[in-house]
Amino acid sequence: MKGLTRKRIRSVITSVILSFALLIVFFPYFWTILASLKNPADINHPLDFTFTPTLASWDAVIHAGIPAQAMNSLIVGAITVLISLLAGTPAAYAFSRFNVGGNKARFGILLAQMLPPATLIIPLFLLMYQIKLTNSIIRVVISHLTVLLPLVTWFLIGFFDDVPRELEDAAQVDGCTQWQTFFKIVVPIVRPGMGAAGLFAFVMSWNDMFYALILTSAKARTLPVGIASYWTFRGVEMGQMSAAILLAILPMIGLSFFVQHFMLRGLTGGAVKG
Amino acid sequence: MLRLRIPFKYQLLIPLVVIMGAILIFPLLYSLVISFQNYELSKIGQEHFVGFKNYINLFGNRSFWAAMRNTITFVVIAVSIEVTLGFFLALLLHNKATFLRGFFRSTLLSPMFITPIAVGLIFRFMTNSQLGVIPNLLKNFNITIDFFGPKLALFSIALIDTWQWTPFMLLLILSGLESLPEEPFEAAQVDGAEGWRMIWYVTLPLMRPILLAAVVIRMLDAFKVYEYVYAITRGGPGVATETMQYFIYRTGFIYFRAGEAAAMSYTFIFVITIMVVILFRILQNKEETK
Repeated sequence: MKGLTRKRIRSVITSVILSFALLIVFFPYFWTILASLKNPADINHPLDFTFTPTLASWDAVIHAGIPAQAMNSLIVGAITVLISLLAGTPAAYAFSRFNVGGNKARFGILLAQMLPPATLIIPLFLLMYQIKLTNSIIRVVISHLTVLLPLVTWFLIGFFDDVPRELEDAAQVDGCTQWQTFFKIVVPIVRPGMGAAGLFAFVMSWNDMFYALILTSAKARTLPVGIASYWTFRGVEMGQMSAAILLAILPMIGLSFFVQHFMLRGLTGGAVKG
Repeated sequence: MLRLRIPFKYQLLIPLVVIMGAILIFPLLYSLVISFQNYELSKIGQEHFVGFKNYINLFGNRSFWAAMRNTITFVVIAVSIEVTLGFFLALLLHNKATFLRGFFRSTLLSPMFITPIAVGLIFRFMTNSQLGVIPNLLKNFNITIDFFGPKLALFSIALIDTWQWTPFMLLLILSGLESLPEEPFEAAQVDGAEGWRMIWYVTLPLMRPILLAAVVIRMLDAFKVYEYVYAITRGGPGVATETMQYFIYRTGFIYFRAGEAAAMSYTFIFVITIMVVILFRILQNKEETK
C-alpha cells in the first residue's frame, strides 16, 4: 500500500517535470507563431493577448524573396543528398562488410564531420575563386558534401552491419557477381536506412547558414541566409521574420518525426568496434 | 590494352575517395600552405611565403586568445548543463512507467532539427528589452536582466545552445540506457538498492563510456558555435561573445587576411585535439583507480 502511493507520487513528479520541459521547448515556437499573426502595433505590446490575428506578415513573406530562397535550399539539399547516397552507400558497404581501413578509417569518417567549418571555408572559397566556380548552388553543394558525405557514410555503416552475411553468400553461390549482390540483395535491405540518412542529411543541409552565407551570391540565397537578413530589428519586420522562421523550421520538425526512429541506429551506427 | 584490376572492396570506395580528396583533403592541404603565406583576399597574386610569421603573430594577438577563451568557456558551460539535463531527462523517459513516454520523447527532441539561425533570432526577439516577452514578464516582478550585456552575454548564448542541443544529448543518452544489460540492475535490486543509489552506483558506472562519447561528440559540435553570435551579439559587447568560428570568419572575410585566418584554423584544430585528448585521459584515469 505504502509502496503504491510512493510510486504514484513519483509518476506525478515525473509528469510535472516532463511537462515543464515541454513548456520550455514549445514556448519559443508558440511565441513565434503568435508574432507572425500580429500586426506591427500589437507586436509592441507583447503581453496583450486581445489582438486581432492578421495574415499580413505571411502574405508579405510569401510575396518576398522567401519562396525562391526556400527553392534554392530545396535544390541544394536534394543534390547534396543524392550525391551523398550515391557515393556513401558503396563506401559504407566496404567499411562494414570488408572492414577496409579498420577502425582508423571509421574514426577518420567521424572526424571529417567534426571539422569546424571555419577551417574549411577559407581554402574552399579561394579554390572556387581560382577555378572561377561562380554558380551559388554548386558552391554550396560542395561545401555541404564535406560534412554530409561522411555523415551519410557513417550513418549507413551501422545499417550494413545488421545485414546477415548468409544472404550475400547465397546470392554468390547462385552466380551473382559482387556488384550484382550489392545492388540486388544488400541495397534493398538497407533502403530504410538510406531513407533515414538521406532525410537527416537533407535537414542538416537545409539548416546550414555558415557556408551558404559566404558562398552564395545575393541572387541565389538559401533560406537560412534569407532569415538572417531580418537582422535589422524594426517592429515592422518582426512579424515577417517570425513567419519566415516558421516556414524554415516547421517542415523540418515535420520531417524529424520520420527520422527520429532511425537516428539511434544511425548515430551509433559506424561506432568503432572494440 | 592494359586493364588494371582493382579489387571489389576498393572499387566500392572510389566515389567517396575521389570526392573527399577533391573537396576536403586537397583544400585542407592548400589551407596549410596558405597559412605560411601573407595571403590577402584584397591582393590575390601578390602572396609569398613568410614562414611561421602568421603563427608567431598569433601569440601576441589578444583578440584571438579572447575568442579562444570565450569558445572554451562557452563549450564547458553549455556541454556541462546539457549532459546533466540530458541524463536526468533520459532517466525519466527510460522508465517504462512514465506517462505519455513516446509523446514526450518525440516532442522534446524537436529543437535539434531546426536551423540555429532561427533559434538565435527567436531568442533575440524574446529577450529584446522593448518587444520581448521575457523582459516584459520580468518587469511585473521589478526584475531587469541585461541578457546580452558584458557580464551575462556568453552565458545567455550558452543557455540558448542548451535549449537547442540538450535534446541531442537526451537522444544519445537514451539510446545508451536502452543498450545496457539487465543483470546488474536485477542484482542490485536483490541487494536492496533503489532510486538514487541505484543510479549512482549502477547506472552511472555502466554509462560512463557512453556519456564520454556523447560529451565528446557534443563538444566538437559546440566548438562550431556561430549562428547565435551572428544573430544576437556579433561578438559584442566588446569581445565578450567573440567565438573562434566567428573570429576566423571575420579575419578571413571581413578583414581579408586569409593567411592569418588559415593559421588560426590550424591552431584551433590543435587546441581542440588537445582538449579531447585531456578529456579522454582524465576519464580513463578515473576508470583505472576504481
